[in-house]
Amino acid sequence: MATVFSQYAWLVPAFPLAAFAILTAFGRGWSRAGAWIATLASLASFALSLIIAIERIVSNAEDYVGGFDWLRAGAVNLTAGYEVTNLTALMLVVVTLVAFLVNLYSLGYMGEDERMTVFFSYVALFTSSMLGLVLADNLMILYVCWELVGVCSFLLIGFWYRKPEARAAAKKAFIVTRVGDLGLLIAILLLFWYMPDHALDFASLHNVFHTQSGIISTSITTLIALLIFVGAVGKSGQFPLHVWLPDAMEGPTPISALIHAATMVAAGVFLVVRTFDIFQASQAALDTVAIVGAFTALFAATIGLAQNDIKRVLAYSTVSQLGYMMLALGVGSTTAAMFHLFTHAFFKALLFLGAGSVIHAIHTQDIREMGGLGSRMKATAWTFGIGVLALSGIPPLSGFWSKDAILSAALEKSPWLFAVGVLTAFFTALYMARLFFLVFTGKARGDAATYARAKDAPWTMTIPLIVLAALAVVSGFVQTPMSGWLGSWLWSGEAKEHAEGVAIVASVAASLLGIYLGWLIYAKGTIRRDAVSSRLPWLVKLLERKYYIDELYELLFVRSLRGLGKALAVFDDVVVDGAVKLAGGAVAGLGRLNTRLQNGQVQTYGLVAVIATVVLVLAIAGRRFW
Amino acid sequence: MLENLPVLSLIIWIPLLGSLVVLFLPGYNARAVRGAAIFFAVVPLLLALWLYASYEPIVGGQAFAEQGTWLSVPLNAEAFGLHANVASYRLAFDYRLGVDGISLPLVLLTGVVAAMASLASVHIRKRWKTYFTLFLLLQTGMYGVFLARDVTLFFIFFELTLVPMFFLIGIWGYFGREKAANRFLVYNGLGSAVMLLAFLILIATLGFSSAETSGGTELIFSGSYDTMLANLKDPNAAAHQNSAMFLSENLKWAAFVLLLVAFGIKLPMFPFHTWMLKVHTEAPPAVVMIHSGILLKMGAYGLIRFAAFLLPVQLHASSTVLAIIGVVNILYGAVLACVQKEFKLVLAYSSVSQMGIVLLGIASLNETGFEGAIYQAVSHGLISALLFLLVGSLHERTGTTRIDELGGLAQTVPFLSGILLTAGLASLGLPGLSGFVGEFLSFLGLFSSMKALTAVGVIGVLLAAVYVLRSVLAITNGPLPERFAGLKDARFVEALPMVVLTALIVLLGIYPSLLTDLMQHGFDGLLKELQTRVGG
Amino acid sequence: MSMLASYLTLAAVLFCIGLYGVLTKRNAIIVLLSIELMLNAANLNLVAFSKYGVVPSLTGQVFSLFAMTLAAAEAAVGVAVLIALYRRRATVNVDEFDELRR
Repeated sequence: MATVFSQYAWLVPAFPLAAFAILTAFGRGWSRAGAWIATLASLASFALSLIIAIERIVSNAEDYVGGFDWLRAGAVNLTAGYEVTNLTALMLVVVTLVAFLVNLYSLGYMGEDERMTVFFSYVALFTSSMLGLVLADNLMILYVCWELVGVCSFLLIGFWYRKPEARAAAKKAFIVTRVGDLGLLIAILLLFWYMPDHALDFASLHNVFHTQSGIISTSITTLIALLIFVGAVGKSGQFPLHVWLPDAMEGPTPISALIHAATMVAAGVFLVVRTFDIFQASQAALDTVAIVGAFTALFAATIGLAQNDIKRVLAYSTVSQLGYMMLALGVGSTTAAMFHLFTHAFFKALLFLGAGSVIHAIHTQDIREMGGLGSRMKATAWTFGIGVLALSGIPPLSGFWSKDAILSAALEKSPWLFAVGVLTAFFTALYMARLFFLVFTGKARGDAATYARAKDAPWTMTIPLIVLAALAVVSGFVQTPMSGWLGSWLWSGEAKEHAEGVAIVASVAASLLGIYLGWLIYAKGTIRRDAVSSRLPWLVKLLERKYYIDELYELLFVRSLRGLGKALAVFDDVVVDGAVKLAGGAVAGLGRLNTRLQNGQVQTYGLVAVIATVVLVLAIAGRRFW
Repeated sequence: MLENLPVLSLIIWIPLLGSLVVLFLPGYNARAVRGAAIFFAVVPLLLALWLYASYEPIVGGQAFAEQGTWLSVPLNAEAFGLHANVASYRLAFDYRLGVDGISLPLVLLTGVVAAMASLASVHIRKRWKTYFTLFLLLQTGMYGVFLARDVTLFFIFFELTLVPMFFLIGIWGYFGREKAANRFLVYNGLGSAVMLLAFLILIATLGFSSAETSGGTELIFSGSYDTMLANLKDPNAAAHQNSAMFLSENLKWAAFVLLLVAFGIKLPMFPFHTWMLKVHTEAPPAVVMIHSGILLKMGAYGLIRFAAFLLPVQLHASSTVLAIIGVVNILYGAVLACVQKEFKLVLAYSSVSQMGIVLLGIASLNETGFEGAIYQAVSHGLISALLFLLVGSLHERTGTTRIDELGGLAQTVPFLSGILLTAGLASLGLPGLSGFVGEFLSFLGLFSSMKALTAVGVIGVLLAAVYVLRSVLAITNGPLPERFAGLKDARFVEALPMVVLTALIVLLGIYPSLLTDLMQHGFDGLLKELQTRVGG
Repeated sequence: MSMLASYLTLAAVLFCIGLYGVLTKRNAIIVLLSIELMLNAANLNLVAFSKYGVVPSLTGQVFSLFAMTLAAAEAAVGVAVLIALYRRRATVNVDEFDELRR
């Protein structure tokens, strides 16, 4: 079957890249025009992606690979290539759709910012590199785009550069994810020297690790897989490299929706899916992925319970949900992971954009100062509510299906992982209920005047909410226990459905219990809100301070690096430079000694000359005689 | 059109001509002096670009090679004792120029950075005439170093860079300029002395060839690099001449260590780096552009050209040591860069760190690593030139480059801040910008032989992110101090070199084959030697 | 002992006395006189060689005549310099003539 449109897939990232170039070169002074250019570029990308995806769905097209020689140096011969498969087509649609909606939303949200063009150019660059990451046909190009999305994330987190917190958060995000990137880089170096013909493209990886496994020893395979996973941990905010993601909420909210919820943070999951053959070749690596994922899911969900910043709650929720995806990968279900990535992209983007609308309306992020906004902001409240239910996993919304797929897969592997998953589902429902009830119901606790002025945002901001809400409702039906369409499409019929009655019942029960408990505490007030904090103040404090991980890292890495630096600075000054000064001083001292002789007395010079002559004569004469 | 001209000679001597022209211009006419200087800096760049366009890696640079007799001294035959088949001895130093895949990237770098630095010299406020005279003289020296194919000629050009540099630092520098200039001269003078010794060993023991004259066979000692290479390759060379004179193993080691020290000082290699800290902080920015952008690369070039190509066995035997020194350079420089309060010192230590990567590339002993080393040298040249250009512009506006005194400049000088951020990202090795490729190739090369060491070195990449972001963000982001509120953004003459350098950095990052293709066959000879001599 | 040796010994003794004077005396006049002594020691050698050398000839004596005139001229210049110095510094102590060093 011919793949007409897949050949033009390179155009998908090219549109936003062009927008970035135009805005950077000429965009100074433009405001809304520039923003519209970027938005239209993302729309064009979306349209093309959609066409590609439809073509592939309808005709079951074959994979397409294209590219050009990028770097030839010695043994290295890398191409910059792109590959269109069903998996990448799906990701293209998700990324371009969310990017387009976020662009549209930002037209309203960032409307008054004087550096709007810069913002849109960064978003365009991000979209382009994210699409490049998705399309990359080899690990090298993927790594290049991987770093580029990281830098765009950094730029956008620090977009409000006057705020010192934004600066610190941007720096932290870049450096912490870089730790993960180093893992990926070393994995690439390893692969390069172990792979036959130094091939880094995914087709060869599949060949070597799947079809003819055994070429590369298990220990090396495990090492490579774990290093790749380190990269994924950094990007997807998994424990212990999760610390940057909540801080990244200093960036503008649309960015949190696009980068730190829907697309970039999911890149880690995507990376593992893309290189899953390597993971499958090593059980140890898979177990690590599952355990890290499960732990992160639970760990982040508990922190989410005690946060008071609306965006931070969502951020920890993102960390937790990404943990779910990793769990799914660890138990071997790429379908469940991709499915959850797909649905999560929509409802989490929805939640962030909804939160953005709230922040836009009342200019605070502290949920203790909100309340009762439901009646003033109907559209926001309704769509946000749908997002909450979807995230909590209430049937038949999308989150239910994908979470259920993960839990079923986990149950097949280990009851413990399953138990952690269910517990996480409970906490998830609880903190989302807390968030929703505190923000939208009850009485207004903040400034009355602001509250009175609060209203729904303009259409550019509402339409994305509605579209995403609709998707949050329906997107789950692509893969239900009854029909495994997504899985069979993605992997061309390889996947099997996971449907466990126990899993469905347990997850729905946990979610409902969580929401009910939340309702009792935060809406109805049957249970006093300080029921826990009065009895176990240390626990609440522990959660509020995020288990003191930040403080620990500060002590462990930042301070020790600074200490080492100071010590080395002294060393450099005293020992290294000291040796130089000593050498210089010695020469100078010798010179000073010699100047003693140069006392200006001709007679002294004469004496020296005479003595020297005598010595010379004696030496010559002596040589003659001996 | 240019095929029949001695292009290499033109590249070298046009700046010298410019230097003379500037000398005869009226000193009060700053415009004329500056214009002439820029013109004479741009012409060699254009010639170098022509060279780039017409260079074919497979053929190599023979088409461009130039050769002429220069100095020829008959030697007293009795001093050597009488050899059966040799009638007379002669010492010959020829004027030999050549270009290949290793030197061409660096010649291009020199052209670009020198032209941009002459544009950036607008900050020079006194004695333009002397300044530009010396500046052009310096360029002659730099081109000469990269194009010379005779160790004597190389040495002369190498020295030619020292003298103008000394005055450029000492006259136009900041507060501690004299001290910095002295430190520079002493250190580099020492390096040159050591290098001369190494070269003498090479000339006396490796640079001989014989010629038939009417009086019988004549044995010629010369500094010709090609002769040395040929003698090294020829397994009968030792037998066919007086065998005592050929390089013994001990002499080879002596020459190797001397070369390592000589070029290590220039590179700079830990612990010989302290001199360049002073130069970085005290010299005028346009001069540091040249210094950090090109002069440091002469160390890398010398190491590859002489230590590696002429003494591959020694290089192989000491590759682990070299790699360890490289890793120490990377980490030591990076950690120290993390705690500096002066931006220029951050950049100086980051240069130490970045040049460590060059050492890693050389220590890798494979083509990937060597190309990575050259790529890293070129890329770091462009990036540090750009960074010091920015330092000059910032200092001109704010009067300080201390990190704790600056802040929030993105609000008043967005263009400069944007370029600064880009340069910073390039220097921390962001893919898509040139810094990444050199780094990646060097690590990749070394990884094939020394995995653990490379993994340790890679930590330097992380630290690079720490020190770059720490300093750049402190300058551009955050609250803006009151006194910097009314700063003006870059003028055209400042912005032009910045844009050119940034464009090149991006171009080399996006399409690295532009440069790597040039180097394709540059290392063939060395690799073959390594293979035959040490079996891989 | 031949005649030549005794002449040469005398010349050597004279030269050493002169050298001693040049190196140790503080009075510039004495130094000047000592230099004359050394010159004359050389003259004595020239004359001795011209008479008793391997190839005796008159050249040596002519040479010594030249040397004497030169010495006279040199002494004249030296004394003139000394007088000028004395006028300026009111001393002929050579220890104090170290202006070049300052």
